[in-house]
Amino acid sequence: MTKPTPLKLRALGAASALALAFSGAAHAQETLKIGVPTAMSGTYADLGNQAKRAVEFAIAEANAKGGVAGHKVEAKILDTEAKPDLARKQSERLALEGYKVLTGVIASGEALAIAPMLDRWDALYVATVTKSDKITGDACVRRAFRVNHQDAQDAAVVKPWLGGRKEQKWAIIGMDGAWGRGSGAGFKEAATSHGKTVVAELYPPLGATDYAAYIQQIKASGAEGLWVALAGRDAVSFATQAHQFGLLANVFTAGVSFVTDNTVQAMGETSKGINGIINYSSTLDTPANKSFAAAWAKHYNGDQPSNFEGETYIGMQVIFQAVEKAKSVKPLDIARAMSGGRFDTILGNVAFRPEDNQLILPNYFGHVAEADGKLRPVVTMSFPADQATPAPSGACKLAKL
Amino acid sequence: MTANVFLIQILNGLVYGGLLFIVSVGLVLIFGLRRVVNFAHGSLFMIGAYVGFSISLVAGFWVGIVGAAVALAIAGALLDVSVFRPLRGQDPIATVLVTFGLLLILEDLANTVWGKETHSLPLPEMLSGSVEILGQPFPTYRLLVIAVAAAVGIALALWLRFSRIGLFVRASSVDPVTTAVQGVNTDRVSAVVVAIGTGLAGLSGTIAAPLLALSPSMGGSILIESFIVVVVGGLGSFSGALIAALAIGQIHNLGIIYVPWAATMVPFLLMVAVLVWRPTGFAGSHV
Repeated sequence: MTKPTPLKLRALGAASALALAFSGAAHAQETLKIGVPTAMSGTYADLGNQAKRAVEFAIAEANAKGGVAGHKVEAKILDTEAKPDLARKQSERLALEGYKVLTGVIASGEALAIAPMLDRWDALYVATVTKSDKITGDACVRRAFRVNHQDAQDAAVVKPWLGGRKEQKWAIIGMDGAWGRGSGAGFKEAATSHGKTVVAELYPPLGATDYAAYIQQIKASGAEGLWVALAGRDAVSFATQAHQFGLLANVFTAGVSFVTDNTVQAMGETSKGINGIINYSSTLDTPANKSFAAAWAKHYNGDQPSNFEGETYIGMQVIFQAVEKAKSVKPLDIARAMSGGRFDTILGNVAFRPEDNQLILPNYFGHVAEADGKLRPVVTMSFPADQATPAPSGACKLAKL
Repeated sequence: MTANVFLIQILNGLVYGGLLFIVSVGLVLIFGLRRVVNFAHGSLFMIGAYVGFSISLVAGFWVGIVGAAVALAIAGALLDVSVFRPLRGQDPIATVLVTFGLLLILEDLANTVWGKETHSLPLPEMLSGSVEILGQPFPTYRLLVIAVAAAVGIALALWLRFSRIGLFVRASSVDPVTTAVQGVNTDRVSAVVVAIGTGLAGLSGTIAAPLLALSPSMGGSILIESFIVVVVGGLGSFSGALIAALAIGQIHNLGIIYVPWAATMVPFLLMVAVLVWRPTGFAGSHV
C-alpha cells in the first residue's frame, strides 16, 4: 500500500467538498413531481384531456418563472380509463416512481379507490374534478384535499334556484356511479324540500350507447323537469338522442357537468337553453381570472379555458402555493401546508375547511346561450362562498397530519 | 306502462338490434371465412363514424354514409391482403394479437387526426323530425336505421344464396381446401368478404354517428355487445347473428325498464346460458 501524498489528499478533500456541495444544491432543487392518473381513453377521455392541458399549462407557467420555490416542476400522465381498479394501479406506479403529488383524477369512484392508499404510498391527492360527497365525507383521509365543488355544494346552489322554478314533477338521470347517484340524491332532497316530486330516477351505466329506453321512461313519467348528471361522451350521446325524441323541447332540462364548455361544442343547437351549474367559467370578471384566461389563450392558440381546465388549474395553484409555504416537496409537508390554509386562486382568496379538507368556493348557475358569436354556458346567478357552502356533514374524521 | 309505450320500446329495441346486426354481421362474415376473431372491428366502426363525419361536413350526409362504407371496404381488402393472408398458417392467437394491436393503432390514429374532444354528426333536415307512431312521436332517423339494417340483411342473404361468389363464400366457409381444389380462387373470395365485413363496420359507424357522441373509444362497448351477438348466434352464422342481434336489442331495452339493476348483466347471462346449453350458438357455424 502506498502512502497518499499530500496532493492526493487535498484533491480527495476538494472532490468530497464539491460532491457535498452539489448534493446540497441538488437537494435544494429537488423536482416537484406531479402524478396525473387520468382518463386518456374511454367515456371521460375528453375530461382527462382537459385535466392534462391544465396541468401542462400550469407547469410551463411555473417553470418559466424559475420553478416553484426553486423546484423545477414535472408531471407524468398515466391512463386510468376512468376505472377505479386501474386508477389505483396507475397511481401506485406513479407514487413508486416518485410522482407522489397526485391530481387530475376524473371519476369519483377512482378517487375513492386511491384515497385509502395515500398513507401507504406516502403520497398526496388533490381532487379537482371528482364530486362525490364521500371523498370529503365518510371516506375522507388526511392526505386528500378537494379544490373543486362537491355534490353538497352544488346542491346548495340548486336549492334556491329550484325554489324559483314552476315545474312540480321532476325526473333524474345520472351515471351509475358514486358521482351520478350522489348528485341524484342531492337533487331529490332539494326538490322534496320545495314540495316537488321526483317521478323517475334512472341511472344508466358509464359509456352507454342507446338511451332510448331511458328517454321513453322519462317521457312516460310525465316529468315537467329533468335533472341530468351525465358527463363527457355520455352527456353528448344522451342530449343528441333526447333532442331527436323531442324530450328537450318539452321537458325543462338542467344538470351538472352536463352542458359544459366542451360538451356544448359537440351538442351544438341541441344544448341551447339547457340550465346548469357552472363551477368555473373563463368569463368570470376578476383580475386573476382575466389574466389566467389571457395567458391560456396565448399558450393554446386563442382557446378559452374550459370549466374542468379552470378547476384543475386551481388545483395546481393550490399545490404550488402549498409547496412555497412548506418549503418542501414532501407530500406530508405539502399536506400540512394545505390543511386549513388560505390560497390565492382564479376564484379568489379561498380556504380549506380543516374539518374535511374541502376548499370553500363561490359557485355559479347559468344556461347555454350565444355569447361572442358562440354557444356556451353563460353565468346568470352567482353565489358567494359562504352562501354556496353547507356546513360539513360531520361524517369526516380526519387523522392528525 | 301503457301498451303503446311498450310497443314503442319494442321498436327501440329493434333499432338497437338492427345496429348491432350491421356491426356483428361484418364480424361473422370475416370469422366464417378467415377464421379470424377481429378485435379491431369496433375500431373500424369508430373510424367509419369519423370518416363519415368528415365527409358529411363537406359533401353531405348521404355521401358520408356511402363514402365511409367504401373507404372502410378498401381498407378491409388491404387488411386481408397484408395481414390476414400472410398470417393464415399461423397459430390463431397470432392473428388475434395482431387485430388487438390494430385496435390500439386505430384509436391512436383517431386521437391524432380528430382529437380527443367529442363530436356529433348533425342530421339532415329531412331526417331530424319525428313521425307519429301509436300516438307517440318517434324520431324519423331511428326508422332509417331499421330500414338500413333490413336492407343489409336482405342484400346479404340474396348475395350469399344466389350469386356465384356467394356460393363460393358458403363453400369456402365449410371447407376452404376442397373449395380451392375445385378451382375457386379462395384468396380473392376472402378479400371480397373481408372488404364487405369492414365496409359494414364503416357503414354501421356512420349510421350510429348521429345517435352517439364521436370519440376514439366509442367502438368499445358496441364491440363487446357484437361479440355477445356472434357467440349467441353461432360463430360464423349469418342467420344466427340476425336472430341474436334482434334478441339482444330487445333484451337490452326491456332489461333497462324491468330489471334496471341488472340491465348490463342480462346480455352476458344470455351468452353464458347459450354457451352452456348450446355451445355452437343458435345456428351452429354455417354461413
